[in-house]
Amino acid sequence: MDDVSLLSPEAWVDQYGDILFRFALQRVRDVAVAEDLVQETFLAAMKAKDRFKGHSSEKTWLFAILKHKIIDHFRSKKYDQSDLNIEDYAETTDKFFSDNGKWRILPSSWDINPVEAYEQKEFMNALYRCLSEMPKRHAEAFVYREIDGLSTEEICKVLSITASNCWVMLYRARVLLRRCIEINWTRTTV
Amino acid sequence: MDHVLPFHQKMMIRFHLQMCKYCARFRDQLLLIRKAIRNEEDTAAELRPSKTSFSEPRERIKQTLRNQLKKKSD
Repeated sequence: MDDVSLLSPEAWVDQYGDILFRFALQRVRDVAVAEDLVQETFLAAMKAKDRFKGHSSEKTWLFAILKHKIIDHFRSKKYDQSDLNIEDYAETTDKFFSDNGKWRILPSSWDINPVEAYEQKEFMNALYRCLSEMPKRHAEAFVYREIDGLSTEEICKVLSITASNCWVMLYRARVLLRRCIEINWTRTTV
Repeated sequence: MDHVLPFHQKMMIRFHLQMCKYCARFRDQLLLIRKAIRNEEDTAAELRPSKTSFSEPRERIKQTLRNQLKKKSD
């Protein structure tokens, strides 16, 4: 952890601003929005720096804040129905399985190298947009777990839920997210 | 993915995943999503330089942060 840079938000901007900006621009594809998101990231980091415990690097921490901001941005942005196929997104996760536990909607095979998934712009764009369309509480649980790395106990505290609730929410979030990505990112084979 | 299962449950799931290709595929896709969203900033350093320069946004953001710090200390 760099104590000098923690004391100087301007040093953060010099050290991480460009890379955060390029990352945000790749996601939102709008220069002004990307700048706003990066600014909000640094402002939030400035407010929260006393709470930064150093479990991750500064870069990881700043990226986590930015990812939250990007998801919130997509959530607040209104999409045309034709822009994002949300055909099945409202369905409950129960519809994926029959009463005897068999698959009702089979997961199709994805044509993507798992090692390089995060380099595939279309895949990552679909992922972020699907996250923003998910029911808010489920998305929050997922983001706390997968981006912030919170434990079950920590998520339960933040969301005021039990561990069982947490696991169900995470399961449903993943089922919905996986299905939404499958529908909206077209590289699938049967 | 979120907590440690009792041994017998873990074994039952492991056995099922060997027999059921769709559940195995589902598991692989969930792990892929996890890896993608956790690791993407690792490739951020290799992002091609944007056509849009960060120089002007940099100065604006720095000024905003300075203003914010000044507000706090007033």
